[in-house]
Amino acid sequence: MAKCKSCVVLPFLVGLVASIVLGWWGFPKVLYSQKTQPIRFDHVVHVEDQAMACEDCHAFREDGSYAGMPTNANCVGCHEDVQGEDPDEARYVTEYVQQEKEVEWLGYQKQPDNVYFSHIAHKELDCTTCHPDVANMSTPPVYYENRLSGYSKDTMKMWQCEECHAKSGASNACFVCHK
Amino acid sequence: MGLDRRSFISLVAGGVTGSLFTPVIWKTLDDVSIWTQNWSWIPRLNYGEELKVPALCKLGSDAYGITVKTVAGRPVVAEGNPDHPLSLGGICPLGAASVHLLYSPSRVKNPKLKDGSSFKDITWDEAEELLVGKIKEAGASVAMISGDETGSVTDVLSGLVGKAGSDKSFLMPGESAPAVAALAMLGGDGKVGYDIENANYVLMLGADALGSWGNVARNGKAFSASREKGVKFVYVGPAQNGTSAVADSWIPCLPGTEPVLALGLAAVIADKGRDRSFWPGFAAFAKFVQTSYPLDKVAEITGVPAATIAGLALELMRAGRPLVLTAAVAGQGLGAFELAAGMSLNMLLGQINTVGGVRILPWAPKVVEAAADTKTLLASDLVAYLSAVADGGAEAPALLMVYGANPAYALPNLAKVQAAMDKAGFVVSFSSFMDETAAMADLIMPDSYAFERLDDAYSPYGSGQPNYTVAAAVIKPVFDTRPTGDVLLAVAAKAELDLGFESFEDVVKAKAEALGADFDELVGGAAWISEEFPVQDLALWQTPLQELVAPISDGKSLALAPALQLKIGSAKIAIPPFNTNAIRFNEMLGTDMYVLINAATAKNLGLKKDDVVKLASAGGECKARVRIFEGVMNDTVVAPMGFGHTAWDAFSRGKGDNVYKLLAADTEAQTGLSRFATARVTVTKA
Repeated sequence: MAKCKSCVVLPFLVGLVASIVLGWWGFPKVLYSQKTQPIRFDHVVHVEDQAMACEDCHAFREDGSYAGMPTNANCVGCHEDVQGEDPDEARYVTEYVQQEKEVEWLGYQKQPDNVYFSHIAHKELDCTTCHPDVANMSTPPVYYENRLSGYSKDTMKMWQCEECHAKSGASNACFVCHK
Repeated sequence: MGLDRRSFISLVAGGVTGSLFTPVIWKTLDDVSIWTQNWSWIPRLNYGEELKVPALCKLGSDAYGITVKTVAGRPVVAEGNPDHPLSLGGICPLGAASVHLLYSPSRVKNPKLKDGSSFKDITWDEAEELLVGKIKEAGASVAMISGDETGSVTDVLSGLVGKAGSDKSFLMPGESAPAVAALAMLGGDGKVGYDIENANYVLMLGADALGSWGNVARNGKAFSASREKGVKFVYVGPAQNGTSAVADSWIPCLPGTEPVLALGLAAVIADKGRDRSFWPGFAAFAKFVQTSYPLDKVAEITGVPAATIAGLALELMRAGRPLVLTAAVAGQGLGAFELAAGMSLNMLLGQINTVGGVRILPWAPKVVEAAADTKTLLASDLVAYLSAVADGGAEAPALLMVYGANPAYALPNLAKVQAAMDKAGFVVSFSSFMDETAAMADLIMPDSYAFERLDDAYSPYGSGQPNYTVAAAVIKPVFDTRPTGDVLLAVAAKAELDLGFESFEDVVKAKAEALGADFDELVGGAAWISEEFPVQDLALWQTPLQELVAPISDGKSLALAPALQLKIGSAKIAIPPFNTNAIRFNEMLGTDMYVLINAATAKNLGLKKDDVVKLASAGGECKARVRIFEGVMNDTVVAPMGFGHTAWDAFSRGKGDNVYKLLAADTEAQTGLSRFATARVTVTKA
């Protein structure tokens, strides 16, 4: 009888543990592909060495909308020609600026089209509340793309928005985010 | 220890249980649901800076300034331009659909050459070389048709034709030509405008001013402002429409008899109004209208009770600044003498070249020396010319060039128009869309769409003051198209016909300079406006007075009242895909359009709701279904214009029938010009 009991319990536990390990460790590796930014943008060089502020590149427009990632128009002021010795800067100048081609930056928190996220409504929050602290990184973090949904692993889920809204007393009505 | 059946089941059970404590199932379910929202055919938003860019809309009955909202440089929606004098923030149904037409399936995406019954794609170099060769071959046997009377591209095209030695430059018919001719009968010389904003009584004789006539957006704003000012708007027409629905009153009047009503009103005003015997021409005019148009006779012809006519005349006389707008219900085809009948009312009321009245606007400056001036273009009768070509009375042109117009669809005597085009040696269409004319053409050199090129407009018909608008391109051409103005200048240069300009921008700059306007400010969206009106000596009538030929009821046929609704399209544009949802259940059943008759007329004809009928006139036949509508006069049938396209795209092709087929032009006795505002039609079960 005891033998029969171990025949049941032990395999159950093995299956349980194996499943949990695979589910938490293996599943994400299968689900997400890893991507790097088209150009290794060194924030540290710009922020510390050139004393640039976040708003110099990530600015609000006159109408309050958020410009998001900078375009070549922002960068050519300095990078019309190669300035330093960073090979990625040289590649940016030759492959993008000179070819009049925009860099397809990967947005870590890009929301679906059915969500209207207003940056100016959240301007009191620190950027790093939602975004990785890239200002202190010389190499942008790896971008994990969900193979099924196509979104970044770091794209905020609706429950996270709702939780913050609830805690801060902001409305959670549908039309606040879904226009 | 082997893995027996029991152990295996236990292992699997453990695995399944464990998976419930991992994200595998829950995350997969969530991601699959998101995956279904992101299939490749689902449109995606294009994020970027939102701007409002000034632009021009020429799709409807007039040209006026609008704004185009762009996101990341891509047009997304058109809106009225509050700063433009002909928009004042308003927009017409075609303007509202204008951005979507950029990507219309009927856009001609590149130059095309007729190859048997279809087209083959060619390059721009090949197309230009071909046209240069045809111009050289044709010599002076060249003609042009333009649907844009306000823009300088027409000047360039007319200049090319003129430089080749031909005077065959024509505009598509509209309200402007008869209005200018009517003004000339009173001794005036210039474009015709209406100061509708400052009038304190507006009588719309057939003019669907709030739906499709004149500066529609501006008219609507003036009407809106008039509500607080107590200005009365009276609509006279054969059937209820959008204008009659909101006007202070609607006076039913048989189709095509509005000019008779005008002369009847003139007779009353000449009799009862203040003494005008010292006016040049007044005595002869008063005698003519009082003899030829007594109240009873006018009431019989028009169907308007005599008491109503007398009351209307009284209201006009009492109003301080009355304004009479005379037009065909369909927005074209009225004879010049007929329009002059309405214009004479303004004259009698002292409302020409004054605040709140008819305004005489100076002609546009001529910058392309070889081009026909606007006055000459408006006096050239396209309908008569094409009919003569078809009948053999005029030589068919070796080269016919068509810009901004669709004559193969939107002219009376349609069979003759198509025959004339068949007779032409070589037809070139500059259409942005595969319209009926482009489909018949030998060569299509697609014009860049309105928002993809520089364009201008000088004082569209009806403007209250001289104005000039220039709009730069909002977006680079979406397809392999080129601005016709520049193509024509390049072709002219290759054909050694020097028009004096290297680029179309230079033409527009020259026009701006001639007007004293700043080109850069114009491109920035500020329309040039002038308050200078030419002072002219007018006499009540300058031409021999003859009675109007009023439509006569024969007891068998009905009077046709063509109805133009911009949501369905215009003479230039077919139903925009965006507007198909605006066509209501009572306007179309399946692919059949409805024509409207009232119950009494239906009973006389033995017809009932939804019957399929054939409408036949001297011009041709149309198929439709019957809808009973009591907002139509007896013995009158209202037929919608804009349906019955045979080219374009699936959104407009094969829907309803083309009412232009029913319109047969005749020659106005007083002026010798074509008129085709209405027709007599028989309506029988199909």
